[in-house]
Amino acid sequence: MDTILNPYYLQIIMFIIINAILGISIYLTLATGQLSLGNAGFMSIGAYVSALLTLKAGMPLYMAVPLGGAAAAIMAAVIGIPTTRLRGIYLAIATLGFGEVIRVIILNLTITNGALGLSGIPSMGIMLSKGLTAMGLGAGIGNMSVRQLGTIATILILASILGFLVFFSLRLSTSRLGRAFAAIKADEHAAEISGIDTRYCKLLAFFMGAFVAGIAGGLAAHISFYIGPKDFAYHRAVEILLFAVLGGSNVVWGPLLGSVILTSLPEVLRFATEYREMIYGGILVAMMAFRPQGLISEETLGYWQKKFTSRPTATKPIGLPRRTTP
Amino acid sequence: MTLAVEQVTKHFGGLMALTDVNFIVNPGEIVGVIGPNGAGKTTLFNLITGVLPPSSGKIIYQNRPLIGLKPHKITELGIARTFQNIRLFGNLTALDNVLVGAHCRTKSGLWPGVWHTKTQQQEELNTREKAKELLQLVGIDEDEISLAASLPYGKQRRLEIARALASQPNLLLLDEPAAGMNESETDDLQVLIKKIQKLGTAIILIEHDMGLVMNICDKLVVLNFGKKIAEGIPQMIQNNPAVIEAYLGKEDE
Repeated sequence: MDTILNPYYLQIIMFIIINAILGISIYLTLATGQLSLGNAGFMSIGAYVSALLTLKAGMPLYMAVPLGGAAAAIMAAVIGIPTTRLRGIYLAIATLGFGEVIRVIILNLTITNGALGLSGIPSMGIMLSKGLTAMGLGAGIGNMSVRQLGTIATILILASILGFLVFFSLRLSTSRLGRAFAAIKADEHAAEISGIDTRYCKLLAFFMGAFVAGIAGGLAAHISFYIGPKDFAYHRAVEILLFAVLGGSNVVWGPLLGSVILTSLPEVLRFATEYREMIYGGILVAMMAFRPQGLISEETLGYWQKKFTSRPTATKPIGLPRRTTP
Repeated sequence: MTLAVEQVTKHFGGLMALTDVNFIVNPGEIVGVIGPNGAGKTTLFNLITGVLPPSSGKIIYQNRPLIGLKPHKITELGIARTFQNIRLFGNLTALDNVLVGAHCRTKSGLWPGVWHTKTQQQEELNTREKAKELLQLVGIDEDEISLAASLPYGKQRRLEIARALASQPNLLLLDEPAAGMNESETDDLQVLIKKIQKLGTAIILIEHDMGLVMNICDKLVVLNFGKKIAEGIPQMIQNNPAVIEAYLGKEDE
């Protein structure tokens, strides 16, 4: 029991969930075919805004984190209006530039404490264990201490946020707007001629991606005690993109799996610390060469669905079938 | 009057793609636009659908000027089109392609889509019902769940027409729908276009297959080097010396 509840493992699980949320944020923008590298920037806005709100204004977490997300979304609306006109690599460069601008601004402001970053951010786990103590669970349950309980409660909260976002993305992908997103991704011009307001859809996707990234930032700040501008630099933007590259970006499970693998990989490869980066790079090169669509694509889902349901796909259940299973 | 094209000119730099083109389309009419390659036929479609702005002139649809409107707005007003080189959403199913075509005729937004509200579910079922009818109309209802990219060429052409019809157009622009089709496929297409006309939709047809054009068009507009060189019923156009010259060249004397 103690090995499973090792604070180190629990910490890794929390990071995996945070990264999975970031994976969803990149999935939402990529759903319209927009390659945005600004999610690290949006994440940093969410992280700093919610950390400052709890640190300086003493705001409770459940208000600070959504406000962090809202701040990121507002910023997305401001920069999205010009940038969503850009396509492909041009959008990638513009959003990458945006991320760097945000980082430099954070580096130079007094309120963000410059390069030193913010420390002493109230931790979600500690807050929750305080709450549990107040509820009379100060002695813990069984052989679990109240601190472990607090950490587990944090994980449960993070997991339910992730669960909701997965539900949201799945429902979105089979809805009218989700189809419009997929159409824009496939052929923007034909989508527009088919009567889709492509600018609105792209802006909406950009906006949702930024909001989710902002939420992830706020949550990350409140489980890691310290945030600094270095956490949200260029490598972070690329890391988020890699979730989608490795896992695939056509279905929401792709970036999810990608984030789980890429977050746990450094831990699994701890025995080969010196070669870690090499193995990491090798996997990605192999991916590009052998499976450029990512680990999970729509065909993969269809294949497994067929394996697990003896029913042939032609006799579809009544109701509204999923888009992804031809 | 469904559509009026008045004195429309389009130039790309020094190249005159269209010069002072005029014609009208009446409700329920099939108007053929013919002319040699590079005559400006597709450019004309791009101007009508708002993809490109004309350099000068007016395009009026049901007494409303179209110039300056975005393509999706024009589709919403009731003008749909297909493309010369098929542009389907390849990784979506045939049914989903048609559902995307119905986008501007449906309403449910983000939250109803996520929460599956009653109105959203009802709308979804209705739209699916209509989309299936359209697939049946164009004759590919058995391919409903196939990916668009996996369909054979002829069916892709039909699917594109179904997608265009899903936006419930009053005016349908078909850009070379018979290109690459064999004779029997072209005959089927002819039947389909007639069926669409019976539904009350006016059609502008760009086509090189003269048999098809002569059979189904109520009126022809002939373009050559961006200029309208003739207009009239098919029988008149067939014998028009300017048209014959444009297609076959002039005999040296």
